[in-house]
Amino acid sequence: MDTFETLRDIIVDKFEKDPATITPDATLKSLEIDSLDTFDIIFDAEEKFSIKVPNEQVDIKTVQDVVNLIDKLRADQQK
Amino acid sequence: MTVRRVAVTGLGIISPLGNTADEFFSNLMAGKSGIRHLKADFADRLDTKIAAQAEFDALQHFGKHKASSLDRVSQFALYAAGQAITDAGLDLEQEDKNRIGIYLGTGMGGAASVEEGYVRLYRDGAERLKPFTVLMAMNNAAASAIALEYGLTGSNLTFSTACSSSSVSIGEAFQQVRHGYADVMLAGGAEALLTFGTIKAWEALRAMAAEDPEDPAASCKPFSANRTGLVLGEGAAIVILEDMERAMARGATIHAEITGYGSGNDSSHITQPSPEGQARAMRAAIDCAGLKPQDIGYINAHGTATPLNDSAETAAIKLVFGEGASGIPVSSTKSMHGHLMGATAAVEFIACIMALKQQALPPTINLHQPDPKCDLDYIPNVGRRGVSVRHVMSNSFAFGGTSGVLIASQP
Repeated sequence: MDTFETLRDIIVDKFEKDPATITPDATLKSLEIDSLDTFDIIFDAEEKFSIKVPNEQVDIKTVQDVVNLIDKLRADQQK
Repeated sequence: MTVRRVAVTGLGIISPLGNTADEFFSNLMAGKSGIRHLKADFADRLDTKIAAQAEFDALQHFGKHKASSLDRVSQFALYAAGQAITDAGLDLEQEDKNRIGIYLGTGMGGAASVEEGYVRLYRDGAERLKPFTVLMAMNNAAASAIALEYGLTGSNLTFSTACSSSSVSIGEAFQQVRHGYADVMLAGGAEALLTFGTIKAWEALRAMAAEDPEDPAASCKPFSANRTGLVLGEGAAIVILEDMERAMARGATIHAEITGYGSGNDSSHITQPSPEGQARAMRAAIDCAGLKPQDIGYINAHGTATPLNDSAETAAIKLVFGEGASGIPVSSTKSMHGHLMGATAAVEFIACIMALKQQALPPTINLHQPDPKCDLDYIPNVGRRGVSVRHVMSNSFAFGGTSGVLIASQP
């Protein structure tokens, strides 16, 4: 499974969303996912992808933004 | 000073004896016990393996995300609040939500969330905790969850005075309505502390009942010579307190009137109760209600079944009621529902309101061996129906010494 699919499964499982609504361009806001819920998703993603998301503010608006963040950290942290 | 009369218009409960006020009270009257072997994966490692657990599956009531972001204590509180609002027939969309507040009591708040965090860190060696840990563990999480759910913007406070927490929360909420700071208050308590660490801490205090070798359900024996201590329980109870005139104007069912509240501190010892301190709180409540001691027709005792509490409380009742003490029926319903700590006073207040409504007094079960130091009428083993009772009193005392006494009356 690629990053997007894994992330989609996390969101579907956590928030009981219809998988079809979770597209790369969907904003977290449109999915009714607030900043606290985003931390919760990141927590699960850290476990799934064996990464550590630093505490500094990251600008996340869409699902794709989260995918990009995860991919970047995986690449950096595997080095 | 003019004060308003305060009606009790809604009842909500989750308890080891049922999850509606009617079911709870009919089990009390039947002398049923909610105490049994604890169902938990750590039960083998406990010295005392009994508890009074509530049957509650959060996923039947909340979505997955909500259930997983609320500690069990908040789930209890939110569910009991919904029940109380429905029972009161309140249409919140028609209400001025600034005039509706929430006062809750809890002893240990999100105990399970704290413990889960420690287990992850210390036992499992995890580096991080779940993002919701603080929000689930904080003592005010339950009261806050109710405010968020219903958009209630009035005063929102959490009282933590150990075993008297929800007596104090109901009493202070009563004052809010009585003195006009709020028109409606949701008041009560919630507790969910049946976790490994918490039970172990209680074991260390040596205040827990030994399991009855013949019948685990009969392990809590208040006022009996062979009493050995308390049994921990969990649950929540929330009542709706409302300005009486307003309640009557909207045609609400008035379950009872709350008329008296007394509180103070024993200021004598962290665990040992002081009859003088307890008596002060009872007198304060009776004064607040504008009553005389002989007006009280039933006392729901704190009655923990620890050796010290029950004899001290008996002595305190004698200090207040003098010669008349032996004529007042007193019972400890903890013999059946266990000690729900921060929720216990609210659960027992609901027992008192149901007693008034049904003119029926629940018993103290497991009382077969009289103790010379406990010589009042404890309604031993069998409840009484068809009584004539106008005013009832609910006693709550606590480690730390904070007492709370509530009086409810027929409206």
